Amino acid sequence: MESFLASFKTLDPVAAFTLTGVVLLAVVGILIFLLLGRIDQIRDLKQSLQKLSRSFQDLDEQAKLIVKTDLELNKTQEELDRRLNGLNALQKASRLISTTLDQDEIFRRLDQSLVLELGFEKNLILMFDEHKKLRCRVGWGFSKEEILHIISRLEKELSLNAALEEGHSFSSLSSPKQRKEKIIELFGVDHFILAPVLTQTGMIGMVFVGNRSGASSMTEGDEELMSILANQIGQSLENAQLFEQVYRSRQDLESKIQERTKQLAIALEEVKKISKLKSEFISAVSHELRTPLTSIKGYASILMTGKIGEIPPEVKERLEKINKHSDNLVKLINDLLDIARIESGRFEMKFAKHAIASLIENVRDLLTPQMKEKGILFKAQIAAATPEVFVDSSQIERVLINLVGNAIKFTPREGTITIRVQPEKETVVCSVVDTGIGIKEDDIPKLFSEFYRVDNEINQKVKGTGLGLALAKKVIEAHHGKIAVTSKANQGTTFSFSLPINRIEEKT
Amino acid sequence: MPTHIGIGFSQNPNSSLAAREAATKAKIQTQQPTVDCALVFHTIHYHPAEVLESIREILGEAKLIGATTAGVILSESIEMRAVAVLAITSSDLYFGCGGVPEGMSGDIRQAGNLLARRAMMDLGPHPRQGFVCFTDGLLKNSSPIIQGLQEIFGTVFPIGGAGASDDFHFRKTYQYCQDKVMTSDACGLLIGGHGNFVITGRHGLRPLGKPRIADRVDGHIIKTIDGKKPYSLYEEFLGNEAAGLRSKTLSPMAILYPLGILLEEEKEYLVRNAVDILNDGSIVCQGEVPEGAEVHIMMSSKDSLIQAARDCATEIREAFKGKTPQAVVIFESLARYKLLGQAAFKEILMIKEILGNTTPLLGMYSYGEIAPFHSPGPLKKIHLQHQSIVLWAIG
Repeated sequence: MESFLASFKTLDPVAAFTLTGVVLLAVVGILIFLLLGRIDQIRDLKQSLQKLSRSFQDLDEQAKLIVKTDLELNKTQEELDRRLNGLNALQKASRLISTTLDQDEIFRRLDQSLVLELGFEKNLILMFDEHKKLRCRVGWGFSKEEILHIISRLEKELSLNAALEEGHSFSSLSSPKQRKEKIIELFGVDHFILAPVLTQTGMIGMVFVGNRSGASSMTEGDEELMSILANQIGQSLENAQLFEQVYRSRQDLESKIQERTKQLAIALEEVKKISKLKSEFISAVSHELRTPLTSIKGYASILMTGKIGEIPPEVKERLEKINKHSDNLVKLINDLLDIARIESGRFEMKFAKHAIASLIENVRDLLTPQMKEKGILFKAQIAAATPEVFVDSSQIERVLINLVGNAIKFTPREGTITIRVQPEKETVVCSVVDTGIGIKEDDIPKLFSEFYRVDNEINQKVKGTGLGLALAKKVIEAHHGKIAVTSKANQGTTFSFSLPINRIEEKT
Repeated sequence: MPTHIGIGFSQNPNSSLAAREAATKAKIQTQQPTVDCALVFHTIHYHPAEVLESIREILGEAKLIGATTAGVILSESIEMRAVAVLAITSSDLYFGCGGVPEGMSGDIRQAGNLLARRAMMDLGPHPRQGFVCFTDGLLKNSSPIIQGLQEIFGTVFPIGGAGASDDFHFRKTYQYCQDKVMTSDACGLLIGGHGNFVITGRHGLRPLGKPRIADRVDGHIIKTIDGKKPYSLYEEFLGNEAAGLRSKTLSPMAILYPLGILLEEEKEYLVRNAVDILNDGSIVCQGEVPEGAEVHIMMSSKDSLIQAARDCATEIREAFKGKTPQAVVIFESLARYKLLGQAAFKEILMIKEILGNTTPLLGMYSYGEIAPFHSPGPLKKIHLQHQSIVLWAIG
């Protein structure tokens, strides 16, 4: 730089001036060039700034759009959440009250659930008593004095009561202004729902829920939910009431049954006593009759032998009648004695395992002459796998003889008598089927009664004691079996009885 | 003897019975004959004096603080009517209680000083681990109380806490300190000794629109934004719905679209609820706003909120280096409960999933949360926050 200045000083003034001018021009030129470049930069920056500003504006507009959409979504979401919460709460409350049939318990459960689940600050459930006076069953957020005041005012609100009676609910959202203001003032809330509790018989009470401030305001969905809940309360209370009625009726019925059972037990005891007396009487009388009868029969037999002296034929004929009637009388007395013994439990059965086929065979052998005489066909149809039965063989033979004997008696000539044997679960069922004249429907229930004889032509001709079927029934019952009869007039009769396969333990 | 923690709760409608049941359950869970310290939360439906008296009968001389809440967060459910007690018995930890029953209507910063000093005095000469406090959530500006606390404890000392709440009516809240039931006051628990004490908080909201500058601010009242009335910002975005902000309480609009203040040095947005609009169009925030700060309208989604809870839980897990915390206390903005709706418990499930299903949890819904601010920088300052979830893990 110093050398440059030294050489510059050596120049003549004109040359120095010219050089200075050139340098200055060059500097100015450079400055102008730089300035022009900077102006371009400023223009670019301005454009960028405008772009940035536009971007910010766009960003803002987009943000506003996002907010608007978000706002709408939030509102929908909020309503949806409220609905869901409400439905959950309703479901819980409904479940709580529908799982009990005790009215007090229903109110006790509602007491907490309305507050805990549905989230209302204040609630009242007022129910009419038997005098149609409102009584508070659930009260949250109110003092006793406030509740009494509300009840006394509500009872005077005839138009409100009438509207509730018609099933209308009221809420701070949907009620007419005047009514809304009245309810708000009465309950001291900002938002409310008042719904009637209805049953089939009409309004039985009302449910009120309310909140004090707008922070937890209500929606139309809440109103709907409360109406549903009020209905649910009505139904649950009605169910509880019905249950109580049914329960009481059942109690009454049970006590009546118990009373009647007691009376019947006493009557049964009386019957048993009388029956025992009857059996004892029959037994005593039979014994007393049998002894002289044996003598009569004995003397008649001796006279008939002619050992005491020749007897004329007329006398012999009379003596034979005495003998025959004595036999009948002995049979009658024996049957009576057996019935009395079985009834009093003094009859000794000799139970053992027997093949029923052999018992039937014995009976066939015994009764074949009578069947032959009438040309009756006898058939025994015994199922292949029939097990042995646990019976007193002589008594069962007696039953079979009686039944087959009756069948012979009432079956016309050339008829058929069939004995069918079929094993069942623990018994063997034996049926005596004939093709006889049958029994009238009216006679069937009386068939097994002692001394009962069906009134028909045959019975009028053939004499009998009327004890055969009664004794058969006693014998079968002594085997823990059952005897039954089915019959159709002129088609035949079937007597069926069951016999045990194994020993049956006596009930204590 | 290590630290034993028990949590009990009750929904009995009777205040005394509910308090007894909750305290008894908590004490039984500690499996210890005595309880050293108790944290009490209950919904506003219960009578505060009866609750306190009954808990005292069960827990004896335990150091006790508590607050009313809009809902109680439990491991298995969220209950909007309950009394809950967290009981601690420990040979490693020491506790000091402090309260400002004189009221917070005067110098709130001074009240913060007083609160810290009283807790320190009650704790004694043990090394301090952290401080948890409850303030009246209805205070328009609780920020000065944090400044007051920090003047005593220092700016990096871990502080967590919440604004006591009611049932969203914004009428009255209660705080407990030992045997005193307070309202419009503050109380705190200073924890000392040796143990893990981690507090972390997040909000999960995102800024919307172009940046704007809060050019004139008076404490917690924003006077102008970009030279215009601040209310016009909400009008631009919400139209007629913006009128809902003039409620003197936390309106649905304030919950959905709070303001976000960009803290330059921490590169993160501090959320401020707009709780009122003054006649001149100024916005009243529930906490201080620095003048000249960049402001945005903020927005969230259920996913972003749950993600914030997930991040908090993850931070706790990392801080505990694989060990399971003995209990986690949650202070969560009631606004988040409203925003999450049906998904509110999903957030709790998420925390359980990360920290372990058996980790005992107890939480409350609050009006304002105090926690170290989540920021990318190394220094996490304590701030009054809104719409956030704060996890305090004890181990």
